Amino acid sequence: MDFDFSVITDHLSFLGSGIAVTLLLSVLSGVTSLVAGLAVALLRLYGPRWLRPLVILYIDSMRAIPVLVVLVWTFFALPIIAGVTMSPFVAALIGLTVHLAAYAAEIVRAGVESVRPGQSRAALALGMSQAQIVRRIIMPQAIVRMLPAFGSLLSITIKDTAIASVIAVLELMRQSETLAGQSFQPIEVFSFAMLVYFLILFPVTRGVDMFYRRVAHLGRS
Amino acid sequence: MTFDWSVVWQHRDALIAATGTTILLTFATMAIAVPCGIVVAALRLYGWAPVRAIATAYVELFRNLPLILVVYWAFYVLPIMTGLGLSPLATGLAALVLNVTAYNAETFRAGINSIRRGQVEAAMALGMSRMQALRRVVLPQALRRILPVLASTWVSLFKDTSLVSVIAVTELAYVAMQIRAQTFRVLEMLTAMAAIYWLLGYPQAKLVDWMQRRFAVTE
Amino acid sequence: MNPESQTQARRAKAGGAKIIRYRGVIKRYGDFQALAGVDLDVHAGEVVCLIGPSGSGKSTLLRCTNGLESIQGGDIEFEGAALPREERELRAVRTRMGMVFQSFELFPHLTALANVAEGPRTVLAKDQAEANRRASAMLAKVGLADKAPNYPSALSGGQQQRVAIARALAMEPDVMLFDEPTSALDPETIGEVLNVMKQLADEGMTMVVVTHEMTFARRVGDWIAVFDSGRIVEQGPPAQIFDAPTTERTRDFLSHLGWTG
Repeated sequence: MDFDFSVITDHLSFLGSGIAVTLLLSVLSGVTSLVAGLAVALLRLYGPRWLRPLVILYIDSMRAIPVLVVLVWTFFALPIIAGVTMSPFVAALIGLTVHLAAYAAEIVRAGVESVRPGQSRAALALGMSQAQIVRRIIMPQAIVRMLPAFGSLLSITIKDTAIASVIAVLELMRQSETLAGQSFQPIEVFSFAMLVYFLILFPVTRGVDMFYRRVAHLGRS
Repeated sequence: MTFDWSVVWQHRDALIAATGTTILLTFATMAIAVPCGIVVAALRLYGWAPVRAIATAYVELFRNLPLILVVYWAFYVLPIMTGLGLSPLATGLAALVLNVTAYNAETFRAGINSIRRGQVEAAMALGMSRMQALRRVVLPQALRRILPVLASTWVSLFKDTSLVSVIAVTELAYVAMQIRAQTFRVLEMLTAMAAIYWLLGYPQAKLVDWMQRRFAVTE
Repeated sequence: MNPESQTQARRAKAGGAKIIRYRGVIKRYGDFQALAGVDLDVHAGEVVCLIGPSGSGKSTLLRCTNGLESIQGGDIEFEGAALPREERELRAVRTRMGMVFQSFELFPHLTALANVAEGPRTVLAKDQAEANRRASAMLAKVGLADKAPNYPSALSGGQQQRVAIARALAMEPDVMLFDEPTSALDPETIGEVLNVMKQLADEGMTMVVVTHEMTFARRVGDWIAVFDSGRIVEQGPPAQIFDAPTTERTRDFLSHLGWTG
């Protein structure tokens, strides 16, 4: 068995564009799902009572339905109902956001609920308003406590972008598939893809670990 | 725009069979990945240094790769590497097992490590051997922490079986999308697919919640 | 009887046998010298209290005594024989020593009775009935017979520590090692644990106690060893250590504790 890795070097820009799309989709959906998840969590914690069961239904549904199904439905079925056309990238962004925001919301909720109630009481005793307490006392501590879980979610986000290959988003997985099919050298191509994904993902989890260890004391009350 | 939801009913046999495959895949994967995970965790905790390094490398590798890539890799590379002609189902199963074993190994390792050293010391101070301390004191407590995580992994696995559809394994996602391609009933089939996953997955998610409450550890 | 006579009476009763002998014990953690040459004798029936600032090596010495930690230099002898290095022989020695930890370390998945019976059952291979019989007797001895079916989470700190003492006693050890047994307890519950320990001492149990409870050491201890930076800076009967210390370090330590005798 000899390997010919020239197939990689010959198509570096082809694969490179895939990597770029992977990174772009990861960052964008990471940000949007974070913002959406935060909004959903705040709605659940501090919003009107009647909204709560709907929010919980949304979150639990996303725990039950695979990402693949969400992405495929968003790209093929949503346009039919909504009457819009969207590019694969946009569909992937929407699908990933909707799916991941549910997990982000749970992380935020767990983080906020883990801050000791004594902290709120102390802040109230000083005369702070509810909004001030949430903003200045609870959130800063909660954010530190959420870091490990968010690191994990970021890792999942990057891995989920690979599933977007199924709806023809031209990220690394898709480019690798195409190249492997054309060149009949799947071992070299997929090994390269594995290496790239590992090199992206491993530092993310390690980096979050190390950063968390530095700041963990800020979240302990 | 007209919708024809009867398509779903017409193909119910195929869908039910496909759902069966999904459930079978989930069970089969866990049945293999739990014992394998225990072995890998044991190697990481108690093996010699080179064995520990290999086990750790395996776990870190598969926790940092997208599963869909592992599925493709298994499909294209495994036949060449092993010289075997595996069916898509077996290939998909292999990919899932490789992936879930790594997560299980981490779960078992973390569960055992979460038991305070003082517990082992107290057991040894009574004269127990390490084996006895593990069996009588560490494992009973670790199991409480491990079971909810294992349940959560199970639900993730159930959803991840959809990924083996890319190598034409006839589980739910593949079959639903095939029917969509044949009948052109896109919205109906995709929504039905989502609904079936939801019907099966929602109770599982709630069960995991219950387990986490039931086995909650108070220190 | 004054304290010195009590000590001599105890030593005479037990035949003055040395249960534990420490000679030049050295223990290092990497670069840190935890024990820098410790010499100490523990006689049968004696209560030896190890006092001193945190990190001075008291707990370390205790943990080296039953082989939970290994030493790099010097000797430890137990009942006339050097402490074995081989794990199986060491385990046999551990069954003759009882250890009580600062954090109690009761097994949370077992009831109080099961906790106390665990040693006889698993290590001494007694049958369930015999193990339970011993366990009940030990729980009664520490005043917790009615708590037998309770899990540790339902017990107060003082109760948990008494169960831990019963657990160690169920093995019928020749010496009891106490590692700061009351440091993690609320003030109200410290008393109930110290009373059990005094009762054991009065019954003639050989005890090595690492403690910050100076009143206990003064009243119940037969021999006090003052630790500082891995060494014993002074040792002697309580009357000497607490009333007329001969070294600066001891005086410093006691004054920092606010000890006015």
